[in-house]
Amino acid sequence: MPKIILIGSPNSGKSLLFNRLTGLHHKVANFPGITVDVGTGKMRDLADTTLVDFPGTYSLQAISAEEKVAVEYFHKALQDPEVEQVLCLIDATRLEKSLYFTLQVIRDCERQQKPVTVLANMIDVLDHHGLSLDVEELSAALQTPVIGVSARTGKGTREILRQIEAVREAVPQPPRAHLLDAPDMLLRGSAHQLARRYGPKGDILVRTQTRLDSFFLHSVTGGFAFFAIMYLLFQSIFTWSAPAMDAVELGLGTLADLVVPLIGGQVAKDFTADALFGGIGAFLVFVPQIFVLTFVIGLLEDSGYMARAALICHKPLRLFGLTGKSFIPMLSGVACAIPGIYAARAIDSPRKRLLTYMAIPLMPCSARLPVYTLLIAAFIPSGTALGGLVGWQGLAMFCIYFFGMFCGLLVTGLISRTSKDHYTDLPFVLELPPYRVPGLGPLLRNAWNRSKHFVTKAGKIIFAVTMVIWVLGYFPNYGTDLGTSWLGYLGRIVEPLFAPLGLDWRYAVAILTSFLAREVFVGTLGTIFGIEAADENMTPLVQQIQASDLAIGSGLALLVFFAIALQCVSTVAILSKESGSGTLALKMFVGYLLLAYAAALAIYHLAALLT
Amino acid sequence: MNLSLWRLRAGDRCEILGYDDVLPENYRTRMMEFGFHPGEVVACVQSVAFGAPKVYRVSNTIFSLDEEVADHIHVRLVAADA
Repeated sequence: MPKIILIGSPNSGKSLLFNRLTGLHHKVANFPGITVDVGTGKMRDLADTTLVDFPGTYSLQAISAEEKVAVEYFHKALQDPEVEQVLCLIDATRLEKSLYFTLQVIRDCERQQKPVTVLANMIDVLDHHGLSLDVEELSAALQTPVIGVSARTGKGTREILRQIEAVREAVPQPPRAHLLDAPDMLLRGSAHQLARRYGPKGDILVRTQTRLDSFFLHSVTGGFAFFAIMYLLFQSIFTWSAPAMDAVELGLGTLADLVVPLIGGQVAKDFTADALFGGIGAFLVFVPQIFVLTFVIGLLEDSGYMARAALICHKPLRLFGLTGKSFIPMLSGVACAIPGIYAARAIDSPRKRLLTYMAIPLMPCSARLPVYTLLIAAFIPSGTALGGLVGWQGLAMFCIYFFGMFCGLLVTGLISRTSKDHYTDLPFVLELPPYRVPGLGPLLRNAWNRSKHFVTKAGKIIFAVTMVIWVLGYFPNYGTDLGTSWLGYLGRIVEPLFAPLGLDWRYAVAILTSFLAREVFVGTLGTIFGIEAADENMTPLVQQIQASDLAIGSGLALLVFFAIALQCVSTVAILSKESGSGTLALKMFVGYLLLAYAAALAIYHLAALLT
Repeated sequence: MNLSLWRLRAGDRCEILGYDDVLPENYRTRMMEFGFHPGEVVACVQSVAFGAPKVYRVSNTIFSLDEEVADHIHVRLVAADA
């Protein structure tokens, strides 16, 4: 099937045009790296023609290892005999930024004898401001067809289709010798001259942008706007997605109630109820949160605010080796690490993306909350100080929350200072795109695609681990007693490891099961102590733990352990998929486990000294 | 007066003179791809508080650069109407 490549620089409106031409509504994330996404779709009005959407890049001269992957992929695609022509999208309002890249594309396509058509997007914006682009003159200067288009309104779409047909019918021309060996420096100079000659004159296009920036980047108003927007983002993750999460839980529970009684045999019945519905439900419940967060982040990206937020946060985060773009993924991680890891896609610097991945699992996610609540209720007195202004339990919760954030920044700060490849990374040069009103359709479709990715990619790993935990906890006594199950046996085997923290096999088993998801710790302890629905009403479990004479040092050690350890199979699975490295996910899992153990041991002994 | 791009205050305009050798070649290349050529006029649009990256306009595009990059770009101030 003939293929047409669509290529363009970031923020040129490429994904919108791709969606318009294919009707596939597929959004390709623009991030360089080993997970370079290339979207494909059949062209809506050209039967049997595939449009291939390459990730946006500023230049074909790669300056990082990950950009190199994208550029090499493009060059390889040009050698594909099925690729018949290339559409190069430029931003007509900012020719300076686009023309150097365009000339590189024209030269490299000439070498492979692939015809190029330049599409000058955002022609509607020029029209709106009474400006124009002389496409005929620019076409003559580039010696390449140029069409003025608007991906937003659809203007020029018919001309694109006509041009594709015209190229198909045209007699192939011999390559233009002067272009074949044109060095990048020459192209850069030519692009600069062409932009000066044909680019829109005056500053009318940036005036509105500058006015809005003077509000959003102002020391006072910008700060208020930032906190208000971040508050809304946080609300979206915690509050707005909660009803949908409850609905998923309720729906799966209802379905389980309908299906389980129909199944014959106790083992099959228990497997369906606990492993299938329980296990799958535990990760499907995250889907609404991922959907809402992706939607809100898309809204911030497409409106142009995301770049401003990154700018505001850059300075403090730079101290810890991170970038301003790390803030939103880390903030998302306070609700749940999974959407946070997805949000880290927006970080173009591979090194800073990696550091952000390392910080996210240490953010105090909502799954830690029930564990903290249980342990604080069991070990911290409920009294107050300063005339009732400060409650000890509230203070403990505050401290453990900030302890996680502090650890995240400490880890990234230390790693960034010990690694030497500082200047091999991308510089912090952030293009501040114009403010735009985002389209609802692409945002919803993007959120849907991301949710689907989570279910299909991470689901397999999560399901496999769920099965293993279930089998270990169910056999050989068919789920009658967790203490005498293989998992209980395993808990006794690893008990010596937890003994230095003052913890017996019961806590060892609860920690083992919590690797499925942290909150499982509460339910497992409840089962072991013989308390029904301990995760819904913790009071009897708190009383049991207090009666078991567990030392306060052990309780504090558990708190610290849970603040650091990466006990979430869903997070490990998504880390592995998003980073493209199972080794990295495994190293982080083991590294944080060891760090958590060491910190817990230190706290236990410190508490023993003080009490 | 010659100074670094980072030293500009909001409203200042300058002409780029060149790059510091401290800035690696790949950084310089990328900056020129963005339009920060020697001879080009750049305006400092905003100087955000607390040492945050500054906002510059080159041609019709707005960029934000932090000190790590902007401090290695040599410029000379030009009159506002230049």
